Amino acid sequence: MKKRGLDSSDDEIDRAVLDLVQGGEGDGSEPAGQRPDRSDRTADAGTSQAAAADSDSSDDERPNRNTVGRVPLEWYRNEDHIGYDLDANKIMTKKKEDRLEALLARNDSGKALRTIYDEYNDEDIVLTRQELELVQRIREGKFPHVEVNPFEPEVDWFTRDKEIHSLSQAPEPKRRFMPSKWEEKKIVKLVRALRKGWIKTTAERMVSHEEPEAYLLWEDDGLISSKTSHGLSYLPATKTPLPGHAESYNPPKEYLPTEEEHKGWELADEEDRAGPLARAFPSLRQVPAYDRFINERFERCLDLYLCPRTRKKRIFVSDAKSLVPQLPKPRDLQPFPNSLAMRYLGHTAPVRSVAVDASGQWLVSGSDDGSVRLWEVATARCMRTWDLGARVHCVAWCPAAGLRIISAAVGKSVVLLPAGVGAKQEAASLQALQAPAKAAGGKGALCKWQPRADGEGLELMHQHPVKHVTWHARGEYFASVAPTGNTQAVLVHQLSKQTSQNPFRKNRGRVVRTAFHPSKPFFFVATQNHVRIYNLAKQALAKKLLAGSGVTCLAVHPSGDHVIIGGEDKRLAWFDLDLSTKPYRSLRYHSQALRGVAFHARHPLFASASDDGAVNVFHGMVYQDLLTNPLIVPVKILRGHEIVQHEGVLDCAFHPSQPWLFTAGADATLCLFTNQ
Amino acid sequence: MGPQKKRGQAGNAVQYITRNQALKRLQLKLSEFRRLCILKGIHPREPKKKTQGQNKTYYHVKDINFLAHEPLLNKLRDEHVVERKIRKARAKKNRDLAERLAALRPKHRLDHLVKERYPSFVDALRDLDDPLTLVHLFATLPAEEAHKIPAKAVATSRRLALEWQAWVVRTSALRRTFVSVKGFYFQADVMGQPVTWLVPHATSQVLPMDVDYRVMLTFLEFHHTMLQFVNYKLYHALGVRYPPVVDPKLEEAAAGLSAIMQDLAKGAGARLEAAKEAGEAAAEVSPEVAQRMASLPAKLKELQGQEIKAAQGAQDMEEAAEAGSSDEDVGSISSGEDEDEDEEPGTARPDADEDMAEAAAEGRGAEAGALVAAEPDTEGAAAAGGAADVDADDDAGVCAALFRGLVFFLGREVPREALLLVIRSFGGTVGWQGEGSPIEESDESITHQVVDRPTQGHRFLSRQYVQPQWVLDSANFRVLADAELYAPGCAPPPHLSPFVDNDDEGYVPDYARTLHKLQEAAGAARRRAAGQQLASMFGEDAPEQDTTASVEDDVAEAERLYTAELQEELRLANAAADAANAEAADASVVEPAAASTKGVQKKGPTAEEVQEEEDRMAAAVLPRKKRNLYNSIQKRTAAKKARVQELEQKRARLGQE
Repeated sequence: MKKRGLDSSDDEIDRAVLDLVQGGEGDGSEPAGQRPDRSDRTADAGTSQAAAADSDSSDDERPNRNTVGRVPLEWYRNEDHIGYDLDANKIMTKKKEDRLEALLARNDSGKALRTIYDEYNDEDIVLTRQELELVQRIREGKFPHVEVNPFEPEVDWFTRDKEIHSLSQAPEPKRRFMPSKWEEKKIVKLVRALRKGWIKTTAERMVSHEEPEAYLLWEDDGLISSKTSHGLSYLPATKTPLPGHAESYNPPKEYLPTEEEHKGWELADEEDRAGPLARAFPSLRQVPAYDRFINERFERCLDLYLCPRTRKKRIFVSDAKSLVPQLPKPRDLQPFPNSLAMRYLGHTAPVRSVAVDASGQWLVSGSDDGSVRLWEVATARCMRTWDLGARVHCVAWCPAAGLRIISAAVGKSVVLLPAGVGAKQEAASLQALQAPAKAAGGKGALCKWQPRADGEGLELMHQHPVKHVTWHARGEYFASVAPTGNTQAVLVHQLSKQTSQNPFRKNRGRVVRTAFHPSKPFFFVATQNHVRIYNLAKQALAKKLLAGSGVTCLAVHPSGDHVIIGGEDKRLAWFDLDLSTKPYRSLRYHSQALRGVAFHARHPLFASASDDGAVNVFHGMVYQDLLTNPLIVPVKILRGHEIVQHEGVLDCAFHPSQPWLFTAGADATLCLFTNQ
Repeated sequence: MGPQKKRGQAGNAVQYITRNQALKRLQLKLSEFRRLCILKGIHPREPKKKTQGQNKTYYHVKDINFLAHEPLLNKLRDEHVVERKIRKARAKKNRDLAERLAALRPKHRLDHLVKERYPSFVDALRDLDDPLTLVHLFATLPAEEAHKIPAKAVATSRRLALEWQAWVVRTSALRRTFVSVKGFYFQADVMGQPVTWLVPHATSQVLPMDVDYRVMLTFLEFHHTMLQFVNYKLYHALGVRYPPVVDPKLEEAAAGLSAIMQDLAKGAGARLEAAKEAGEAAAEVSPEVAQRMASLPAKLKELQGQEIKAAQGAQDMEEAAEAGSSDEDVGSISSGEDEDEDEEPGTARPDADEDMAEAAAEGRGAEAGALVAAEPDTEGAAAAGGAADVDADDDAGVCAALFRGLVFFLGREVPREALLLVIRSFGGTVGWQGEGSPIEESDESITHQVVDRPTQGHRFLSRQYVQPQWVLDSANFRVLADAELYAPGCAPPPHLSPFVDNDDEGYVPDYARTLHKLQEAAGAARRRAAGQQLASMFGEDAPEQDTTASVEDDVAEAERLYTAELQEELRLANAAADAANAEAADASVVEPAAASTKGVQKKGPTAEEVQEEEDRMAAAVLPRKKRNLYNSIQKRTAAKKARVQELEQKRARLGQE
């Protein structure tokens, strides 16, 4: 009945038909015509069974002869029976017709095309005409049964029409014909309420809604309170700024943006733009609507109710100068150095240090080129040059009256040199710098005193690089600082005995500078963050000053009661030792780190040198009266040095008697600033 | 020592709550809360310590409690309930119930909020800028369904804006106007408070999509209420009925301001009757009847004529002071309107226009008088305009009378509403091309025709043709500017902002100088006229020389001022050059003083430079707080200076080209 090679959907339909014809239990049923091959049939037996199991065919019309149930039929392939009947007798396999016979039989019988083979029951089934029609209808997608009409007219079983006759035969109750007593009572109540005006009709209520639109809300004026009615302060919204010339439709031409400005505006982010660019229109009628008008009003609305409001204290200063304190005029505080008088040229590398001798006649400078130079102050003549072979970090004069000794911190040593100027002092100096009888200090000694290898003078060999030398006022003792020296960072040397000692068993922090008190037995040790003042007589810490961060330089006032400290934090801190451990004034005016600070010995002056290339000179008057605070007035900013590799002015020193200032710069020069 | 204080029991932690906490406390949705905040004027505050987090909005607890006790809150809830019922009824197709509920929908009023937020009238005036701007914006917006802008809101906005403008015109309160790219700025002086508002250009607005119109409409709701009461108070102070009845014919002709002005112009006698009628009309409710009633007083006034004018003069002090400038004109316009219908426009001129003509003649006469009195000051007298005899120090008086005697005619391409407001507020008379105009274009009394077109075809010789900017510039500077510069077709001089303080700005455009000079001249003329008035008041014995001498003094003073300004400018320019030189000198190593000792001829530091350096040094010793302030001020002044310099350079470059 079906040819091979049909599409799968047709196959399925065929299988369904077979099920339909055979009944629900059509296990392993396969149409004979469809599967002429035995092998094919067996191979597909399992799957077809599964399909049969899935089918939901209804009750069986043709009961199965076989009772083996749902087992693969191939189990019986080699048997002589196909299964068992209800009485448990074997159902013998029909004798197989050979092909020729089958063909002949098919040709003979007129029903061959309607015959299908049921493998399960091992019998041929001839389909009736009705069944064929059924199959055909299924193929066409119609209802299988002819009698079923899907489009039958709907029968309205439950009609909406009201019947005239009641279903019940009971007579109508009396209450249906009587006015309700309770309703009457309610109506009476309502009428009374309406009459008395307790309730209002809709119309009346509508009328009462209409109140006057506007009336005199503010009776009396002049009552202005800064509080709202609930007691919080009233913060009015800021008004929108009023437009300037640039917003005009026809602004002055100079307000119009140039092409560059226009491009810049277009390139800028929308948030960064200052506002709409000024535009000019030749006449009023050509001005278009402003497209952001509604947006701007909306943003304003949002600002009004979403922005937190605070009252900011604004200081209205009409003139910035009113903020500047009224200080004495610098011209009333003269003398002070105010102009460049002299330049000392000769060094080839940045000059690290400068010092003036007690007479004020001689100047000594130490430089990165490894030389120490002696200058005559008045003529700027280089009198003498010592080449020490390493960077000279610091130079200092011995302040002793009869001596002219220069000390210099070079590498790991402190070098003491006789200046070689002035006949009387020369002799004394040479005497003082006699080589020790026996080489002082052995291997474990703090430092070794020895004569210099090339020429006169002494060399104090330290164990660590020495950065700074400072002298006691009488010229007997001097201290050297080796910041990396840890416990041996600070050494105090005695010139006459040519001995050294380590005053501190331990140093807290990296020691940067030291200084002697000019008159009392006090010793200042500046580490990076603190300045400690030790009482040498009591051998105890007297005071600890909080100096900020990165102390680079330190100077003690001639009276000994005040200290100034410069640091890498660009600050100059003035400490009054009688007051506090915190600075009395902290001044920040340099734009770079401070490199040197100095007090004048006689005049009330002090100066600070910085890497920004400027030297600021201050009038710093200290009063004898303990109640009056020191007066600090900036008097002059001196600029004489160039900035070389981020270094400007490296050191400064005042002349001992004159109001003159010497500065050493990174541009390898020294400058003298005088009061004209 | 008391018991230990617990964290979060006092101070900022309890005084301020976040927005979400407030919502929870009030049991409101965010949208409802926002609406309530807008209406009540409650805004977030910035606590010193933000205890709940940095990125949160904080409200003061008192503000929130204040909201919680607001009767409006319950009203809004009731409304919400009824809305829900209506929705339900509609969904169930119960139309009767829906209609009944809709009719009885509870309504809320915001009067108490206005009073609460602005306890005194001055408070309200101070906060009037935003309401006026928003109302003027909505008056021009379309009532769009898509954005739920109700037509009623637009109509109310329009009405309130017109009422406000009418009041401004009536009291001549307008002080400054400015046409910016954004729109027209107006500034009026209301009881000593400057009120500034912005009106968009009269082209159709495009409604952007990224705007929440509900927020704006909520604001508008409050602004309407507020402005209504403000208007009432202002009208009440004038002794005029509120709300004014709008003439329907003029309203149709889109001459809104005139329509209201007609009602405003009515005298006190008519006012009383009108008030009575208004009461009766309110009982009858029919708007047509009300309108007819409203036109009654005009007729009554015509009948009563002179009597009413007298009463009006007696009652209105201000008018008496200003010699009935605006009021009479406006009144005449109303009567003119009536007669124009009956008679032919060209032949018969209403008697009011005769008044105008007289006023104009007076103005011309005054100018002529000025010509006779002082030959050199003709320019000033001409520039003084209608306010030639007003005390120059009386700004209000000058404003009210500046255009007195001038009759303007506006072309149809000119923004009518803005110019109507300006011209009438400054005492002028206006007609316009189109319906409802009180005067025709061919009227001979017209002194200025305002046109804004490239070419003007037919020209009357008796009048001047100017661009609209002339009116605004003249009004701003209180002078009649040179009309030649504003002739149609040619590029007008720059339109300068009247809100700029020249001293503060630092830069004065050229045209501002020109106008200031003219202003000085006009001021001198006014002072001279005042002197003459005094002389005539005290008899003729005052010698003629005195007045001329005083005039000469004035002129000399103006001259002196001008030269002083010039010198100052020159000095500033020199100083700038010097500063540049000084910087160059600073860069060189050697100090100038040192150089001088070496015998080189070089100028020493000037006193200013020395002072500057001293200041710089003194600033170094300032404490940090003050130094920051000092630095910021210096920075600001430097930026301002740079800006001024840039402008000057640009000007110089433009001048060369």
